[in-house]
Amino acid sequence: MPKSKQLGTQLAALDARFRERLKGDLQALETLASQLQEKPETGSNLLTEMRDRLHKLAGSAGTFGYAELGSRCRELEEKARIQMAADNPDHATMMALCSAIPSLRSLQQSRLTKEPELEPQAKTDAALVDRRHIGLLIQDTALGLQMSHTLTSFGYRISLYKKQPEIAPDTKLDALIVDTSPQGYNMLQSAPFAERGVNAPPLLVISSQDSFISRLQAVRAGARGYFTKPVDLPALESRLERCFNTHQGGPFRVLIVDDDTDLAARYKLVLSNAGMLVDINSEPNLLLEKMHTFSPDVVLMDISMPEYSGPELAQVIRLNDDWLRIPIVYLSAETNAERQMSALLKAGDDFITKPISDSALLTTVYARAQRARMVSEALARDSLTGLLKHADIKEQVDIEIERAKRCEQPMSVVMIDIDHFKKVNDEYGHAVGDSVIRGLSNLLRQRLRKVDRLGRYGGEEFVAVLPNCGTRDAWLILEEIRQAFNTLAFTANNQPFFCSFSAGISGCEGPTWDTRDLLGKADKRLYVAKHAGRNCISGPQDGPQKS
Amino acid sequence: MSKLERIMHIEDDLSIQEVARVALEIVGGFTVKSCESGSQGLAEVADFNPQLVLLDVMMPGMDGPQTLAELQKLPCMTGVPVVFMTAKAQTQEVSSYRELGAAGVIIKPFDPMTLSEQIIEIWNQMHA
Repeated sequence: MPKSKQLGTQLAALDARFRERLKGDLQALETLASQLQEKPETGSNLLTEMRDRLHKLAGSAGTFGYAELGSRCRELEEKARIQMAADNPDHATMMALCSAIPSLRSLQQSRLTKEPELEPQAKTDAALVDRRHIGLLIQDTALGLQMSHTLTSFGYRISLYKKQPEIAPDTKLDALIVDTSPQGYNMLQSAPFAERGVNAPPLLVISSQDSFISRLQAVRAGARGYFTKPVDLPALESRLERCFNTHQGGPFRVLIVDDDTDLAARYKLVLSNAGMLVDINSEPNLLLEKMHTFSPDVVLMDISMPEYSGPELAQVIRLNDDWLRIPIVYLSAETNAERQMSALLKAGDDFITKPISDSALLTTVYARAQRARMVSEALARDSLTGLLKHADIKEQVDIEIERAKRCEQPMSVVMIDIDHFKKVNDEYGHAVGDSVIRGLSNLLRQRLRKVDRLGRYGGEEFVAVLPNCGTRDAWLILEEIRQAFNTLAFTANNQPFFCSFSAGISGCEGPTWDTRDLLGKADKRLYVAKHAGRNCISGPQDGPQKS
Repeated sequence: MSKLERIMHIEDDLSIQEVARVALEIVGGFTVKSCESGSQGLAEVADFNPQLVLLDVMMPGMDGPQTLAELQKLPCMTGVPVVFMTAKAQTQEVSSYRELGAAGVIIKPFDPMTLSEQIIEIWNQMHA
């Protein structure tokens, strides 16, 4: 047995013990934190104990693969140390420290899998990337805990606050979720919400009111999402994801078609300075090629060029179905409204009249690009889950099979089906059923890697394609997801309920590299899993399949 | 240069103690004596006669630097390098440990796979 494997086996045994110990340690820290929160004046011994415990975890957690937990403990230890050294301990800092303690629990799950058999490339990205830090400002403890639990299983790091002053000014949040009840939206008018800048983290509002005025208040406070109670958590998670995506969908791509190269260069400078990716096409006969290679989000089109007119070129672009959704904005000295309209009737979406102010150019392009992105995302994806649709995921399976064959790298296909889904629909209604489907799709998206492809295959059936991942690794990853899904609470009639899924795995691996009918094989395995009692996963390593 | 075989590890955190022992025994092939506290280490060091001592910095009771000071008084410790293990990584701390006489500092969390390598490196530097 190689040393690494031998060590791995030994460590696995120790890991299990450490996991047990971790539970106790976190519990003890939470108790200390709540004692300190209740009686901060008696706290110096408690604070010392808290620091010592944090220090221990800072040292040990990372060694056992909980790198993030370890470094978070170190941060908190440092805060505790500063607090202890201070002559006049600051109450707010102290409360912030205490309220950060429960969030450590969420990092338990972000452990790197260290099973010796697991190939490094099969680790889930979700565990590797820094988790997004979400602040929950909620008075209702039960709701707060439920949300914290659910969002944690979606892979977020959560800090729970009861009152706004508990959020330390230097806390870096990726998003803030605020429950406006019971104080009502008055609290949104107080700082810091009133002074939120453009770069402030997205704000989502939860309210018990479903009125127009309450939504308007939320929008005025800068909210990017609004949810009424009982909160549809999967929908909230989708919205969070969307907030992050618009921030990070890569720069907008703008193609400028203009024969005046000086002017085009000037536009390019303005847009590039705003972080957009700009290309100039000054030879219209090469336009189609450029459209293919650059694939712009927006086309800026000069209206009069020597050999071709702008509307003509716009119509040529519109002849291609793939480019129907791309906004075309004319740049023109044309101020005659009638002629402008006739150009728009032929093709194109908007006019910017020269001379153009930098800000008008930027705003128009930005708004068009953002809208176009949203629309094309919505078109390519399943409306409920945001995943690839049936035909697209099948195409992805074929693409990955080809790649696997070519590179002789293993790949796995997973078919997932929610157990007893019909019962959920019948008992609780379709809206609740939809929230279960969204819940599972969000969970899968969070837990799988970016290179993995995920689609909604049919009603409650999903397909995932895992490139460069053997079926055994796929099994381990899915098993982790299966367990997480089991603990995910859904709500119907104010009562929590739980669901499970079954999954079948097939793959293409050495030495045979057999790629035939992987979807069919995964489907058969799924059938095996269903027959084995559901809530389990079947794959090739379970032995030969009876047909 | 003699080959490093016997390591004494003084660490109050039992989880860490075990991981380090397993890692050092399996990967490095060393013989390891684990102690839970500075005083246990002091009591057993003459018997075990280690070639290197791995010492946690922050322990209840006698901490790492105190233990080091006591170890340095013992005749059996002459020429035996002491390596600190700490979860604190600031450079000034590392250099202050060196001033106390530590042969090296290993930062927690450590990777069990490479812990032995790190120790052998320190050992080789000592004997270069």
